[in-house]
Amino acid sequence: MTLSKIRYFLREALHNLWQFKARHLFSLTIICLSFVTVGIGLSLSGNLRDRAKELSKNLTVVFYLRPDAAAAEREAVEARVRRSPLIGTVTAVSPDQALNRFRTNFPDLRDILQNLGTNPFPASVEASLKDGGVASEAVLGFIAEVRKSPGVEDVQFSREWADKVRALGRLIEAAGFFLGGILILASFFIISNVIKLNVLARRSEIEILRLVGATNAFIRVPFLIEGVMMGIAGSALSLLIVFALVKSFPLYLGGSLGALQELISFRYLRWTQVLGLLGGGGLVGFLGSLSSIARFLKI
Amino acid sequence: MIELYHVWKQYQKSSWALSDVTLTIPKGEFCFITGPSGSGKSTLLKTLYREIVPTEGQVIIGGRNILRIPDHRIHAIRRHMGIVFQDFRLMYHKRVFENVAIALRVLGASPKDLKRKVFIALRMVNLQSKIWEFPSELSYGEQQRVAIARAVVNNPRILLADEPTGNLDPALAHEIFTLFKEINTQGTTVVICTHDRELIRRFGGRVLALHEGKLHEKDAG
Repeated sequence: MTLSKIRYFLREALHNLWQFKARHLFSLTIICLSFVTVGIGLSLSGNLRDRAKELSKNLTVVFYLRPDAAAAEREAVEARVRRSPLIGTVTAVSPDQALNRFRTNFPDLRDILQNLGTNPFPASVEASLKDGGVASEAVLGFIAEVRKSPGVEDVQFSREWADKVRALGRLIEAAGFFLGGILILASFFIISNVIKLNVLARRSEIEILRLVGATNAFIRVPFLIEGVMMGIAGSALSLLIVFALVKSFPLYLGGSLGALQELISFRYLRWTQVLGLLGGGGLVGFLGSLSSIARFLKI
Repeated sequence: MIELYHVWKQYQKSSWALSDVTLTIPKGEFCFITGPSGSGKSTLLKTLYREIVPTEGQVIIGGRNILRIPDHRIHAIRRHMGIVFQDFRLMYHKRVFENVAIALRVLGASPKDLKRKVFIALRMVNLQSKIWEFPSELSYGEQQRVAIARAVVNNPRILLADEPTGNLDPALAHEIFTLFKEINTQGTTVVICTHDRELIRRFGGRVLALHEGKLHEKDAG
């Protein structure tokens, strides 16, 4: 294909887009809305996945010791934990240290502790997992083994929290793709119909092209480019809107969410996601246009 | 060379638009197809550029049986033809230049070649000064001259014209026929469908008369 032909195709496609701007604007809006939905889903779920990853990196196991456990039993638990190749750092926390930590972290609740009169916190051994804390079977086996030690009363493992955040991320991503998918399907049909209208509006021109010896490809390519341009423009516009949301969300709504802001917040899309959305837009435009041409442009 | 052998065309069961038409038009001939409305002139012309496929018979253009060419390859035949219509068939949202250039664009002509050939074609029909105007800004006669420029810009072997002067007054019609004659002198086979006997008489040439789909050879005078 010569450069002059490519230039001609692009010019024709742009000319058509401009000539029927009202219907193209409508189509562009629908494509944009579809990809905004997918973009929001990806952004929210990306944030949740990042949070889950952070939590997974700092996975800790806390072995709470029995108040009546002998010093030897406590030392045995600590030694057992330290020996494990799965464990990174180990900290022995005395009841007094636990109490001080609570007072520092929750100053508003100091009065409750004073009313109790005694220190309710047991001694504990806190252990962080090595290698980002992969919650493997080995780790679970190790925890179960230590739990059976005579000095241990209870075990708290932060993996469940990370798993829940990760699951929520997956759910939001799936919801984004589901809703976005329905809208993208609608975009496909809208593009297909817009191209059909364009084909019908340009029937006489197509007829002229046939008579001067244009190949099928020569007649069809501008319509395909038109569809691809609409798709890419719609998805590019949606990326701008998602970008604006990421920027403005913390300013206008984020504050009112309090502690939840950490979880429910928008993250910039990764480059691969940006390229994926742009490519997706182009593909939807191409397929929509192709389906229309196949049905309505019999040459 | 154009050859038709026993060509029949039926649109409706009751009547034949073309009835056993056999003819040969040698290369470089200036030829009229004439006859009253509904006699099959346009049908005959359309079979030559395979806009319609005959019910029976063979159509051979330049030694190739065009009825055996698959649909997606028919453009190769049309690139050697120029076609002019009564209703001009111009792209009214495009300028004169683009209307003529389209016949070269489909061939993938270089921009330099394209500009040169479009200018030569427009100069031949004396419209070089209107190159950047839109067809709607031109008179009917000028619009038909744009259509002729488009038809000849790629130096076709055959020029087909279907009632090319049907919308024009006698003076303009004469001008257009003069152009066809000029094109013919350069070696292009010219086939014109018309029912204008006065123009046929004035310009001469071979006359093929159709009546109810049947062909009769006539004298131009």
